[in-house]
Amino acid sequence: MRRTGVVPPLLRRALAPRTPHCHRHCDRPQRGHNLRALAPGWLCVYACPGGAVSVITYSEWSNADPTARLLPFVRAHTTPATLVRRRDLRLARRHGPELGAEAERYLARVHPPRAVSTVYWRLYPFKKKDGTVFRLFVCFRHGTERVQFFVAPGNIMSPPCPKCRVRTR
Amino acid sequence: MAEPKRLTIVLAPWCPHCEPLSVTEGNRLARRLKIPLRLLDIDHAAQEKEADRLVRRYGDSAPDYLIPQVFLEWSDGRVQHLLTGFSEEVPRTARAWADLLRSAWLRTLIRGASG
Ligand SMILES: [Zn+2]
Ligand SMILES: [Zn+2]
Repeated sequence: MRRTGVVPPLLRRALAPRTPHCHRHCDRPQRGHNLRALAPGWLCVYACPGGAVSVITYSEWSNADPTARLLPFVRAHTTPATLVRRRDLRLARRHGPELGAEAERYLARVHPPRAVSTVYWRLYPFKKKDGTVFRLFVCFRHGTERVQFFVAPGNIMSPPCPKCRVRTR
Repeated sequence: MAEPKRLTIVLAPWCPHCEPLSVTEGNRLARRLKIPLRLLDIDHAAQEKEADRLVRRYGDSAPDYLIPQVFLEWSDGRVQHLLTGFSEEVPRTARAWADLLRSAWLRTLIRGASG
């Protein structure tokens, strides 16, 4: 049996969105970037090639709520940290029957039953006083261990990250 | 032996994962199980209290929790959390409902109820 928390590839496939697109930014496909920065679970940042982020997910194969692990991580990697509000983190447990036949069979083999618990951090685009809409971006230039999240006007492709002042790819 | 008694969906009418998707699919599931469906609207003060209680005690609790959340109540008082809406687009939650409705879990449950 696998260590509690680790999410095997079969379950990752069952959980992943099919074809996420970059809404209200560039409409290009978003890709899930797996980061090894948080253990024991699966941390994934869904972002477009221009760095716009739709959601950050952290999953553990465990019944326990992993929010307490994700919250300090995103706070430590976001400028400013006050952008990360507790109420924007939301838990969802998946038990198996709602994940398709393969994942259902896989999860049914484990006793006592263990759900996959996912925490979503989603920062919705917001308007500043001058009317400019800001949204969340990510910079991977610091390496996947030291990913940086920041906000910038939502109509910009690849805005400069405040930490490295270079353009994200 | 315990049997399914009622299906409850915690939802909000403005949420596209909830209406019409989860109400339609919830009705389908309740019919297959031959049990009533109860909808708890989180924007309706009286229903919100019961919704919060279910979510806190049996569901996926958070200060601003995800909807819909679907619960199966059993005759012995047990409450089983079945499904929470996905944070992604509506088609992802639709797929979860489709998978749930054709799951081995549901087939076994219906066989048990009729046999
Ligand atoms: Zn984009
Ligand atoms: Zn940077």
